Amino acid sequence: MGKEASINQIDLLFNPGSIALIGASHTEKKLSGAILKNLLRFRGKVYPVNPKYKKIMGLKAYASLSELPEPVDLTIIIRPAHEISKILKEHERKAKCAIIVSSGFAEIGEYKLQDEIKRIARDTGIRILGPNCMGVYNPYHKLDTFFLSRERLKRLKKGNMAVVSQSGAVLSCIFDALGSANIGISKAVNYGNAVDIDESDLYEYFIRDEYSDIVISYIESLGNGRKFVEKAKELSEKKAFLLLKSGKGSSGQAAAYSHTGRLAGRYEVFHSILRQFGIKEAMDFDELVDTAKAISYQKTSRGNRVLIITNGGGSGVLASDECIRQGLVVAKLPEDRIEKLGKMFPKFYTISNPFDLTAQVKDEDYVASLNELKDDFDGFLIIALTGVMGVTERLGKMMKNLKAGIGKPIVFHIAHGGVSRKLTAILEKAGIPVYPSPERAVKVLKALLT
Amino acid sequence: MMQKVEDLIAKGKTAVLEHEAKEVLREMGFSVPKGVYIEKDRAEQIPAIVDISYPLVAKVSSSKIISKSELNGVRLGLKNGHELKEAVSGLLHIRDAEGILIEEMAAPGIEVIVGGIIDDQFGPVVMFGLGGISVELFRDVAFALAPMGKEDALWLVREVKGSKLLKGYRGRPPVDIATLLEMIVKVSEIISTGLIQEIDLNPVSLYPEGAIVLDAKISLHYS
Repeated sequence: MGKEASINQIDLLFNPGSIALIGASHTEKKLSGAILKNLLRFRGKVYPVNPKYKKIMGLKAYASLSELPEPVDLTIIIRPAHEISKILKEHERKAKCAIIVSSGFAEIGEYKLQDEIKRIARDTGIRILGPNCMGVYNPYHKLDTFFLSRERLKRLKKGNMAVVSQSGAVLSCIFDALGSANIGISKAVNYGNAVDIDESDLYEYFIRDEYSDIVISYIESLGNGRKFVEKAKELSEKKAFLLLKSGKGSSGQAAAYSHTGRLAGRYEVFHSILRQFGIKEAMDFDELVDTAKAISYQKTSRGNRVLIITNGGGSGVLASDECIRQGLVVAKLPEDRIEKLGKMFPKFYTISNPFDLTAQVKDEDYVASLNELKDDFDGFLIIALTGVMGVTERLGKMMKNLKAGIGKPIVFHIAHGGVSRKLTAILEKAGIPVYPSPERAVKVLKALLT
Repeated sequence: MMQKVEDLIAKGKTAVLEHEAKEVLREMGFSVPKGVYIEKDRAEQIPAIVDISYPLVAKVSSSKIISKSELNGVRLGLKNGHELKEAVSGLLHIRDAEGILIEEMAAPGIEVIVGGIIDDQFGPVVMFGLGGISVELFRDVAFALAPMGKEDALWLVREVKGSKLLKGYRGRPPVDIATLLEMIVKVSEIISTGLIQEIDLNPVSLYPEGAIVLDAKISLHYS
C-alpha cells in the first residue's frame, strides 16, 4: 500500500463518513451501550450490529457486518477477544478501518490472539486501532467512540491540541486536567496495544493535520524505535510536541555481556535519544499537563534569563531555587534600572531579582516593574499571592493589555484560594498560565524557554 | 574494515577474547597497548617471547570471565622477569583461565568508557561515560543513535556531567577531544555494521595527545 493511501486510511479513523458498532447493546450500563449513546451525536451513518436485536437506541440493528446496506469507513468492535479475528475477516470489502475496544490480548499474556490480529491487518490492508483501547474523539466531526459517558467524563471543547495516549486511563485524566485549564483539543486518540497503528503512524498523521498545532503524547512502550525517532523529530520541528514516557524503572538489557549492555536501560536509552533529537519530554503527569497548558497559550522563545516579581519573599526564593535546578538564570537587575526603580517605589521594596513588592503591593506595581524591565529578561515569573488587599482582579485585566507588548513567556504563580480563582480565570483567558506552586511555574517557564 | 570480525564469525566464535578484540581494534586504527597473548598450555615459554618493555601488566583471558578485576585477574606494574613469571603462574590458577595477555603498562590518563550495543528498541546505539565510579556508582552515561558524525559525538560527550574533567580540571591539561570523538564515531560505525552485538572500550585512557584502549570486550552478533 502507498504511503498516501495509508495516511488517508488513518484519516478515516478521525473523520469517517459511516460507522458500524459491532457488539452494540441497548443499555448504557454496558460499555458497548455507552459507546452507542456517544455515537448518536455523530452526524454520519451509524449502524449498530447485534443479531439479538431489530432496533437499538432507535437505530435499525443488523445481524452482521455483511448485512449492512453499504461498506463502512470505520467499525468499532467490542466483543470477546476470541471472536475478534473471525469478525475482522468479515471486514474485507466491508470496512476500511477498525477500532478494537476489547481487551484480553497481549496485556494479559494472550500474544497468540494478538499476533493473529496483526496478521489479518497485514493480509487484508484494514487499519486497526487497539486492541484494548477507547478509540478516538474528534470534536470537529462530532465523533466520540469512548465507552465513558459524557456525564462521567466531560468532553473537551474544540481547540488546536491533539492528545495521543497509549493508555485510556491516562487519557481520561488528561481530559479532566485540560478541561480544568479550559483547553480545547483538535483530536484525541487512545491506541492501546498498538497491533497495527502505533504512535509513529499517529505522529505522521498529526504532522499534516491542519487542526493540530500542538501534540502531546503518553507512551508506555514503543513500536519501532527508529520510526518513532524519525516521526517524533519531524513532529517536533513542525509543531509544539511534548511527550511523557512511563516505565522509567526498567532494568538494562537482559543477559548483557558488556558494561554498556548493563547500563543501557530501556528508559535511559530512550531519554538520551530524545535529547539527541531535541524531542521534548515531560518527566511526570503534572509536568505534561502544566506544560501542555503553557504551550497552548504561548509561543516558546529563546533565552534563559528570568525575572521573578513577587509579593512574598519566601515564594520568590522557592522560585529562585527551582530556576537554579532547571538551569535558568535569575540574573541581576542592571544598575541604571535599580536606580530608576528606587525612585518609583517605596524604600521597603526589594529592588533586586527576585523583585519583592512585599505585602504592601498594589496591582499597578507589577505592571510598572514589568514595563521597566521587560527588555532585560527572556522570561517572567510573576507571583501574586492574593491574601493581601492590593492584589485584585484588575491585575488580570492589566496583564491582558500588557502581554502583547512584552512578547515573551510570562507565567504566574497564584496559590489556589477564594479570591484567586477569578484572577486566575482572567489571566488564563488572556493566555497567561497560572500554577499553584512556584516550582511548577518555573518548570513551565523552562519549557517555554528553549 | 571489519575483516577480522568477519573471520571470527566465520570460525563460529561466540566470545571474543581480549587480545582478539584488540586485534580488531588495531586493524581499525585504534591505539591499543603493545602486547602478547599466550595460551595456557604454552605459558612456560613466557620469558623467551617477551620483546616488549617493562613495566608490564598481565591479565587473565577467558571467554567465561566477565569481570577480571573481581577475580584478581589483573596484575599491574610488573617490573622484571621474576615478577612477571610469578604473576603469570598466579593467573593460570584462576578457574576458567584460557590464556594470559601481557601488555606494556600505559601512562595514567583520564579514563572513559566508549561502548556500543544493538538495543532492542532502537537498534545500534553508542554509549559514552567517564570511567571508574562515575560509571559504576553514578551511572553518569549518555546514549545516542548510531551511526553518528563528530558533531553528535561531541553532543554525546557533553551530555555526561563529568565531562568537565576532560577540559582540564584543577590545573590538569585538557585531553585530546578530537581523538576521543574519532573513537566514538568509529565505535558507532562498528556497531552499525550489525556484525557485533555489544562492544566495550573500557577503559580508554585519554591524554593531552592521543588515547589508548586499555581493555576491550566484543560480542559477535549472530542473526
